[in-house]
Amino acid sequence: MGAHFGYLFAAYSIIFVAIFLYVMFIWRRQAALDAELRTLEARMAALTERPAAGAPPRPDA
Amino acid sequence: MNNPTIRNWLGFSTLALMLASLFMVFDYVPPDAEMGIAQLIFYYHVPLAWVAFASFGLVAIAGIFYLWLGDQLWDDLGYAAAETGMVFCTLMIIAGSIWAKPIWGTWWTWDSRLTMTFILWLMYGGYLMLRASADDTPQVARFGAVIGIVAAMDVPIVIVSVRLWRTIHPAVLVTKQGTHGLEDPRMVWTLLVSLTAFTLLWAWFLMLRFTQLRTRSRMSKLAGRIALATVAASDPK
Amino acid sequence: MRKDLRLELRSGESTLALLALSMLVLVVLVFALGAARMRSVDAAAGALWVAMVFAGMLGANRALLAERDNGAIRGLLLSPLDPSTLYAAKLCAALIFMAVAEVGAVILMVLFFNLDFDASMARLAPILVLGAIGFSALATLLSAITGRTRGGDMLLPILAVPIFVPALIAGVKASAAALAGAPFESMGDWLKIMIAFDVLFVTAGYLLFEHVVGGE
Repeated sequence: MGAHFGYLFAAYSIIFVAIFLYVMFIWRRQAALDAELRTLEARMAALTERPAAGAPPRPDA
Repeated sequence: MNNPTIRNWLGFSTLALMLASLFMVFDYVPPDAEMGIAQLIFYYHVPLAWVAFASFGLVAIAGIFYLWLGDQLWDDLGYAAAETGMVFCTLMIIAGSIWAKPIWGTWWTWDSRLTMTFILWLMYGGYLMLRASADDTPQVARFGAVIGIVAAMDVPIVIVSVRLWRTIHPAVLVTKQGTHGLEDPRMVWTLLVSLTAFTLLWAWFLMLRFTQLRTRSRMSKLAGRIALATVAASDPK
Repeated sequence: MRKDLRLELRSGESTLALLALSMLVLVVLVFALGAARMRSVDAAAGALWVAMVFAGMLGANRALLAERDNGAIRGLLLSPLDPSTLYAAKLCAALIFMAVAEVGAVILMVLFFNLDFDASMARLAPILVLGAIGFSALATLLSAITGRTRGGDMLLPILAVPIFVPALIAGVKASAAALAGAPFESMGDWLKIMIAFDVLFVTAGYLLFEHVVGGE
């Protein structure tokens, strides 16, 4: 009975490790998104500082 | 959906229930007399199955809404559901395989449930490969929706045909849950707790990934606007 | 719709290649399975369906490639054509290709697997028709998707095969039964599965095709 404990342990460990890894994956993506957001915010700031010379931005479809 | 309070509550209750289920599996429920201690994998395997299939259904439903309403929100939901479902489906197959080895003596067998799961896994894989190999345009999102719908419609037929296929062959193995039911009420409780735990985990993953994809969609729209405005602003007139 | 059919059929140079491919797949299977395993109708039916599915997928890919090269898709989109009708036209064209591939494959199967051209062929025919309809319906819809994404032609089998599995299982089982001389009643379940699959996917293709050809 206890001989099969290895399998039990392996199964549960893999499941929890995988869950942890997926959370990490989401975390890393979030960091990348935040960095991108900061870039966009900077460019927005640059735009609003100087008056736009050309046509107003077209609304995207 | 973006509400961080809900997200945190979901996260914490998921954690709590997952820990509870772990305790119940290892310290509370008696292992099956015949199949031995490895049978306990069942208490995680079944919820994984439920979530994997439910997520697939969600991909299809999100696809239908996306084709009908056209709001990017539905595509983001579908993609999040596909990713999450893939994770759970993979874990389900791994858990099932590890369960099979000590109990049936083999890592894999073409039993009807395993076969069905493997096909589901392939469908998930196809969807994700499609999305990964193409850019994130509305056209591709429509493609994804169509695939999700078509594959989900196929699932009942696959179940029927695979089951029929397996009954023709000599029944080598007993079905996963064993021919006996869950006699001990502790087994029922443990299963219910882990089912709830995994459903919450699924919801939490979905919420995380979905809000992330929403943000990304919004940001690329914004980036587009900014790019246009930058061009317009720098245009010497 | 006639015009579209003719446009599809014009990529006729692939028909010969398709036939050749069916034959070659069967040849590979003959050597792969080995002489001993060749005796069973199960092997014959299996080999037949492998050849059909491969030929069908390649046919779908080539058809789309030909279209892309001719710029035909753009032309069709500009015409005031209902996308569902377009789907029907493509489906018919795909069916014709599959039918040709099937006939070739059956002839070769009978020869390679030492079967007879007898009444079992008549029983086999409707099964292959059902299979062709199902596969063509699926492949026409999917190839419109995969043709427009990177890694397209490799993506088609990845998407198509898992979805096609039930029709494949049913088709092989029914074909083996037909070759073994069983009456139709005995394969009732398999036939029902194939019919359900066909109905489902022709309908799905008809309804969903507009979302797939929508412009970009």
